[in-house]
Amino acid sequence: MTADLSIPAVLSMYALMLVPLGIFLYLQLGVIRDMLIGMLRMTAQLILVGLYLKYIFQLNNPFVSLLWVSIMLVVANLSILNKAGLKRSPFFWRSLTGVAGSTLFVSGWFILVAIRPDPIYDARYMIPIVGMVLGNCLRSNVLSLERFYSGIRKNENEFMTYLMLGATLREATRPYLREAIKAAINPSIATMATMGIVSLPGMMTGQILGGAMPITAIKYQIGIMICIFTAMVIAALANILLSLPVAFDDHQRLRQGIFIS
Amino acid sequence: MITFENITLKVYQQTLLDGAYLHVAPGDKVVICGVSGSGKSSLLKCAVGALPVGGGSIRIDNLTLSADTVAEIRSHIAFIGQEPVLGADNVRDALLLPFHFKVHCDNSPSDKQIFQLLERFHLSKNILDKSCKRISGGEKQRIAILRALLLNKTIFLADEVTSALDLESKAAVMAELFRPEITLLSVSHDPEWITTCGRVVDLLNHQLAERGQ
Repeated sequence: MTADLSIPAVLSMYALMLVPLGIFLYLQLGVIRDMLIGMLRMTAQLILVGLYLKYIFQLNNPFVSLLWVSIMLVVANLSILNKAGLKRSPFFWRSLTGVAGSTLFVSGWFILVAIRPDPIYDARYMIPIVGMVLGNCLRSNVLSLERFYSGIRKNENEFMTYLMLGATLREATRPYLREAIKAAINPSIATMATMGIVSLPGMMTGQILGGAMPITAIKYQIGIMICIFTAMVIAALANILLSLPVAFDDHQRLRQGIFIS
Repeated sequence: MITFENITLKVYQQTLLDGAYLHVAPGDKVVICGVSGSGKSSLLKCAVGALPVGGGSIRIDNLTLSADTVAEIRSHIAFIGQEPVLGADNVRDALLLPFHFKVHCDNSPSDKQIFQLLERFHLSKNILDKSCKRISGGEKQRIAILRALLLNKTIFLADEVTSALDLESKAAVMAELFRPEITLLSVSHDPEWITTCGRVVDLLNHQLAERGQ
């Protein structure tokens, strides 16, 4: 079992935050308010998650778990659109389809094909695995959607030139699609290449702290990394392709009304 | 043939065209004149569906511009802007770019065709390996026109295409674009270009008016 942290022990961790606080004050960075809000939100959200995860794990009901997964997917989807600078209404269902499809497919594969827990819907596997895959998909989708649409906006003459030369919408958007996918996956490729040497991944560290054998933790880590990477690539591609019909008009012109002004 | 019928065009809430008409018959050479910002370039962009019109209709040959025909119209027309975008790293890739698209993939030009056109435009073969970022504005304009000719296009929308050219290059470009089989709708401030065009149309007070009529 992991050694529990007492309340004073957790508070001692907050004391460590005085160091960045002092640096921000010295540099007059103007981020102290944001940092404090971020800290408070993190604390409140994690306490709440701790409380209802305990409840969800105890209940271990597949419908309750799926409801929680659905909430996670919707919140992630809204966050993706917001951070990518895209309006919610035209893209909500399309983006949700891409994120949910990719996340559930690879998480399902990991749980149903590789882990096969008993019962198969065990919330202790379902929730953390979906959460890890989704969290990474969120980051990569923000990058890919933002890079894709900003690439076309910045290079509108080039994009229109492709159309004038006879390209279909898919052909004309392909250079920006390539750049967007690369931007989304490059950080993960770099992370995978240095994993275990430069960084000890969170899931593995957590399992080892929780008392698991390192070799078991490593096997899970390999599984989750492949899941994350696959889901990121599928979601980045699916989200861009699914967004094309609403982002461009019937003459293949980029609609300016899709962006958050 | 290009026909604009009762065209209304607004860009950023500003009216540029209000019920404008223009007919360009096959082989016609038309130049549109007007003050800067009057909407000359926008009119050309409308013809290829790059800008949405507020009302009226545009016909290219027998096709009325719509969502169903825009792709076919774009494959018929060459649009050359003031600062052409070549869309590739080097000149050779830029020339061959449209032949990677499904609509043109069976019509790739031979090296001989490319070399002949380069010669007619007073460009050396060495330019093919140059980076598009390292060639001059005038070279870009000629490469863009050359690319359109490789696609066997006969309708040209040309927006100030001689603005960056020296006299010799301009003569070469004009010799190509003023061939009888080419239908040319252009925008230019160049006196020689305007004189050579058979028809001069003024864009004034949001209307198109043929000079001399």
